[in-house]
Amino acid sequence: MSDDDIVLEISGLEVGYSTNRGEVKAVSGLDLAVRRGEILGIAGESGSGKSTLAVALLRLLKPPGKVTAGSAIFRPRGRSPVDLLKVEGEELRVLRWSALSYLPQGSMSSLNPVMRIGDQFRDVILEHAPDRKNTLSELIPRLLAQVGLEPDVARMYPHELSGGMKQRVLMAICVALEPDLVIADEPTTALDVTIQRVILQSLVDLQRDFGVTLVVISHDMGVHAQLVDRVAVMYEGKLVEVGDVRQVYKQPQHEYTRQLIESIPRLGRRAS
Amino acid sequence: MTKTIELSGVQQRFHARGAAGGYLTAVEDASFTLSPEPPQVVSLVGQSGSGKSTIARNVLGLQKPTSGTVKYGGKDIFKLNRDEYDDYRRNVQPVFQDPYAIFNPFYRVDRVLWKAVKKFGLATSRAEGLALIERSLDAVKLDPDRVLGRYPHQLSGGQRQRVMLARIHMLRPAFVIADEPVSMLDAQVRRLFLDILLDFQREYGMTTLFITHDLSTVYYLGGSVMVINRGRIVERGPVDVVMHEPSHPYTRLLLDSIPQPDPDQRWTGRIEVDELSGTAEAGTPKATAPETPII
Repeated sequence: MSDDDIVLEISGLEVGYSTNRGEVKAVSGLDLAVRRGEILGIAGESGSGKSTLAVALLRLLKPPGKVTAGSAIFRPRGRSPVDLLKVEGEELRVLRWSALSYLPQGSMSSLNPVMRIGDQFRDVILEHAPDRKNTLSELIPRLLAQVGLEPDVARMYPHELSGGMKQRVLMAICVALEPDLVIADEPTTALDVTIQRVILQSLVDLQRDFGVTLVVISHDMGVHAQLVDRVAVMYEGKLVEVGDVRQVYKQPQHEYTRQLIESIPRLGRRAS
Repeated sequence: MTKTIELSGVQQRFHARGAAGGYLTAVEDASFTLSPEPPQVVSLVGQSGSGKSTIARNVLGLQKPTSGTVKYGGKDIFKLNRDEYDDYRRNVQPVFQDPYAIFNPFYRVDRVLWKAVKKFGLATSRAEGLALIERSLDAVKLDPDRVLGRYPHQLSGGQRQRVMLARIHMLRPAFVIADEPVSMLDAQVRRLFLDILLDFQREYGMTTLFITHDLSTVYYLGGSVMVINRGRIVERGPVDVVMHEPSHPYTRLLLDSIPQPDPDQRWTGRIEVDELSGTAEAGTPKATAPETPII
């Protein structure tokens, strides 16, 4: 596989949090390649380091968290490759949204509560692609339609939308500038099953229609089974297994992966 | 004396700008009875916006229905006299969803427990009250030394939810109205919480109305279940029956939307959700193969 097919190559990543009792390693010695156009799932239980990995890549890691080693070479189309862990200032700002975007958890706090949805789109687009100013009136309804929302939503405030709608607005903002890579951290947690299904549906559509590469972090092995092409399993900060999703579910190589798949609450198990 | 909670024809409308007729009907014709004999768990399941929390608020007396009645021991809860109201307040206890919002951040967590002791006269002396509180914290697997004297922000979400369970343990109400009590807890703490709730049912004969959007939680609890869609209860029955032989298309849609941990069983159909009106279009899961092969 040529370098061109790898959109993100992480090698030897180490992230730690310094605490009173010394440094806690959240991610250690992680190597992972993300292929262009794929949906890669990152699975693992709470505390396995999956969210730390995401925030480190997005450069949103806050002290006491610290990247202590490693590199993450990002190859956006039409730009020269950069190490996400080293890039600073203006160079980083330019990458955000236009080449690399972030879909946060389906929580209520990701949109500005006092701005109409349309203005929040405008904010992102004008900041990062001022040349699209004239196309905004046509672009925003099209982006909303892409995630199954009415054009009217642009005039609404976040509190007028349900949790699932807000999450879809965020998805539309994420892909507004056709980024190369979207990192989604628990995109459906806290949503109910039917809305979750709609969100997963829309994620697949985005990958198909925009060709975005998606990294989807979720603790829910059911979500991975439904959505991703390849899955990477993290345990105690280490990557224990990566592979084609069918392969991993059928023949988990690692004991922990097997436990994770079996631990899904299914209809059929209950309190004794 | 055992009293029942009885809802008949409860309808709840809210004023809503832009909705047809200027109001939104959150609950329509909800009727059911919660009986303490025998103690049971009744789950109310539905998606966001289906009206489940509104029903909880109606049952708790926090929201007066637009029409229909909520009766406790045969009397409308909004027409109880003082003594009857105290009895109702004591015997119908809530557990809410958000373990962060229920505590006043300026007071120590002890306060919610002491308030219950004082309001309902559970103890005659401070020492007796403290012993009671400690016993109840033990019952929900919390160490009193690590909880008492703390402020809410010093406890985890799971610990805070269990403090509310300790309060219920002290009061031994006939009914617990639990509105999404575990949706903000992680899997392990969630299970502990549910096990404690089931313990209470067995040991103290509490009947629980358990409101959730999570079908696996419903299955774990057992008992009976009511499925609510667009403010209407569309299906009810024992959990085993409803889950294995759902009769309403909406129940089938819900069951079908649980992501199965098998990449070979992906959804092939799409569902469309009209979220503006808080409804899911039932009956369009094209994912399922026809039940009877077409010849």
